[in-house]
Amino acid sequence: MSPVKKDLCPFAEDSFSRFPSQSNIYGLCQAGEQELLAATLKGKVVCFRYQDVQKKIRPVAKEIQFTYIPVDAEIVSIDAFNKSAPKRGLVVGVTFIKDSGDKATPFLNIYCDYEPGSEFNLESIAQSCLNLELQFTPYQLYHTEVHCGDGPKETVFLLSGHDQSIHLYKENASLHQFEEQPVEKLFPELQELPSNVLWLDVLSIDENHRLTAFGCQNGSVGLSIVNQKGPEILQNWRVQHDSPISTVLLFPLPQQHQNTDTNSSQKETFNLLVTSAIEMGVVYRDVEKYGLSRQLCLAESDQCDAVLCALVVDLDFDGQHELLLGTYGQDLLCYKFPPSMGVSEDKLQLLWRRSFKSPLLSLIYIDLTGDGLRELAVLTLKGLHILQHSLSSTADLVLQRLASLVSRLPFTDQPIKNEETEQELISISNES
Amino acid sequence: MRSVSYVQRASLGFSGTLFPHAICLGDADNDSLNELVVGDTSGKLYIYKNDDPKPWITRTCTGMLTCVGVGDVCNKGRNFVVAVGAEGWFHLFDINASAAKSDSSSQQDSSVGDEQKHSFTQHIPANTKVMLISDIDGDGRCELVVGYTDRVVRAFRWEEPPDASDLSSGQLVLLKKWLLEGQVDSLSVNPSPEGLPELMVSQPGCGYAILTCSWTQEGASGPGDEDAANPSREGSSRDVVLHLTTGRIHNKNVSTHLIGSISRGSKDDSSKGGLFALCTLDGTIKLLDSSENLLWSVQVDHQLFALQKLDVTGDGREEVVACAWDGQTYIIDHTRTVVRFQFDENVNAFCAGQYACKEGKNSPCLIYVSFNHKIYVYWRVELERMEPTNLSGELEERPEYTALLHRLGVDITDTEAVRKLIGDVLYGNKQKHLTE
Repeated sequence: MSPVKKDLCPFAEDSFSRFPSQSNIYGLCQAGEQELLAATLKGKVVCFRYQDVQKKIRPVAKEIQFTYIPVDAEIVSIDAFNKSAPKRGLVVGVTFIKDSGDKATPFLNIYCDYEPGSEFNLESIAQSCLNLELQFTPYQLYHTEVHCGDGPKETVFLLSGHDQSIHLYKENASLHQFEEQPVEKLFPELQELPSNVLWLDVLSIDENHRLTAFGCQNGSVGLSIVNQKGPEILQNWRVQHDSPISTVLLFPLPQQHQNTDTNSSQKETFNLLVTSAIEMGVVYRDVEKYGLSRQLCLAESDQCDAVLCALVVDLDFDGQHELLLGTYGQDLLCYKFPPSMGVSEDKLQLLWRRSFKSPLLSLIYIDLTGDGLRELAVLTLKGLHILQHSLSSTADLVLQRLASLVSRLPFTDQPIKNEETEQELISISNES
Repeated sequence: MRSVSYVQRASLGFSGTLFPHAICLGDADNDSLNELVVGDTSGKLYIYKNDDPKPWITRTCTGMLTCVGVGDVCNKGRNFVVAVGAEGWFHLFDINASAAKSDSSSQQDSSVGDEQKHSFTQHIPANTKVMLISDIDGDGRCELVVGYTDRVVRAFRWEEPPDASDLSSGQLVLLKKWLLEGQVDSLSVNPSPEGLPELMVSQPGCGYAILTCSWTQEGASGPGDEDAANPSREGSSRDVVLHLTTGRIHNKNVSTHLIGSISRGSKDDSSKGGLFALCTLDGTIKLLDSSENLLWSVQVDHQLFALQKLDVTGDGREEVVACAWDGQTYIIDHTRTVVRFQFDENVNAFCAGQYACKEGKNSPCLIYVSFNHKIYVYWRVELERMEPTNLSGELEERPEYTALLHRLGVDITDTEAVRKLIGDVLYGNKQKHLTE
């Protein structure tokens, strides 16, 4: 990339779907491989995907009629996951508040079809509902995979509420339905919370360990390393910020060692991004080793009103991660992690910014068009924007890389050779 | 239907009210960058440059301005700004000269004397509605065509003595007058199948009429000499060739707009005839060629009141842009691919074209005049393509792609395998792929 072009947003908008009413930061989720579900305040759930008609693709935003969501309901959050192997069926959870005038009642609806053949069909999933009345106002609906004793892994819903606690919903396989179970049994780190949790993130760091982070309404952030066997909390950190936490995001970064020891050339460190209503966004680096002690500020991230959503992905195909922040000030900000970060650095510089027509609520990077190239879905107050990479320049890059793959075909059985060409490949992509 | 949201916009201050044709884009000061020219109902003419919210130049005209234009009316090889009022006052401004003057002195509104020196006023028949500056008879010189609310169209030519030093010695001379059956909402020029310009006017009910320039057939001895002698002579009915487009039965009184000379792009030189588009207030948009073949017709449920052309893909082909009162804007290419854009307010007037809003160069812009004292300029409204496309579509157009896939042992028809390969190639996992 040329230095001039570097400061431009590499995306072009492919489509924009306007929604009948506004959404919120818990309103977008991925459902299945190439589909998105977006929930809007007035009880409507929209399924967005690209339809393939005679070699042409068309964006389609279709309303899905989820059963048992009354007309006067206001949707708070939505989440979906595929059940852990071997079942894989799709599960969709929707929390909403039914306001019938005298008393507002919150509900959690869990949609899941057990009929063989329709486990992945959204239309039929939307018709089989488990309706749970809640005793608290729901916030974020989250899912994660967890070891349940000695059994296989299972994916469970975690729902935070205004009662200063997090509730766990797990499938009861014999009854074919989800039920609330005590959270402390599987997530001992999620009890005795300091305040209402606004955002939760769980990342599995190896077969037996996970990191759990949560951000609260009163500004406190909690982080734990947990041994999944047991489970047992290995270490706990707390830090206090000055304003409500909008997002916490755990992400790995490849760590490049400067030494010539080829065996340990790539190792991952785990980092925690924390964004809040009024302060600058902060990345806590290498939390596994240093906890919440090594801060890295995101310059200018406090200039565009509250940061509401964040994402860490590789946007320019160079193997380095980029960090995206979506703000209430209608801006999408992008930061790049430099290839080798010195210990002394305490700030990340803004790479580019792109403005939108309304506040940004949620971001997902997903391959919607089925071509291997992912698109950036941006949920704003008014609707869903799909941003696509420039196809011509990405095609150039793909051809270049395919050509270099072809050129080293005869050498595939010599791994050391591969290592070198790998570096070459990255440097080529940086120059292009 | 695909819809997009444009974000990059500049807002310009405009406190007046205006007629829908009192806005245009053009190079007013001959610096090769386009300016925005707007005239309001109190007779003020504003010229905006860049994204400056304040007008760059303001001029005062007589009467309510109904139409403004930028073009080489005087055939001097450079552009002038033209403003015509409802009462029939025709104003001509040489912005180039006066701007240079005001730069050297102090700022903005130069002295009254200066302004007068570089402007010209003449009274022409009143009740003007639309205006066109273009060569309508194929002699390579521009004429001024004015449409009236009383269903009349008049063509004028600028005449001045050869030794004229400034504008004051010239004048507009009437060439011809046509009388039409219905209201004229737009004037345009479109190349005929022979490649000669044809003057077209819109007629109610999705119709149009071609107005013939009879002076070209009468062996013009001197430009306009004969015609100027009998300016009152009305064009006979054979000079107005009315065409009603076929198809759905229209409300025969519905207001209709027209735009001609829509560029086909460079690769299609074979046919000389031009493309033109029609739109109606009840939501019909049609694209036709000059032999009256219908290329497509689109029906929408919005009240379309403005029709423009703009190349948003940068391929040399101009797309048809139609705007509705409620801000819904349709961009349609020659193959009937539609892209929508919703401007969030009601629209007072709309225009589209090249404007040098930012970065010191012209870019395709959509310009909306709102009802709350603002003009919004959406700049760089470019699209990489009109159709949503994915990477596979783009790659399959590249000749080397199939060969590369073949060498890697991936079947091009196996979309899952191709998808995985491209995903791996772009997002790491390259090592994994190699060891397979």
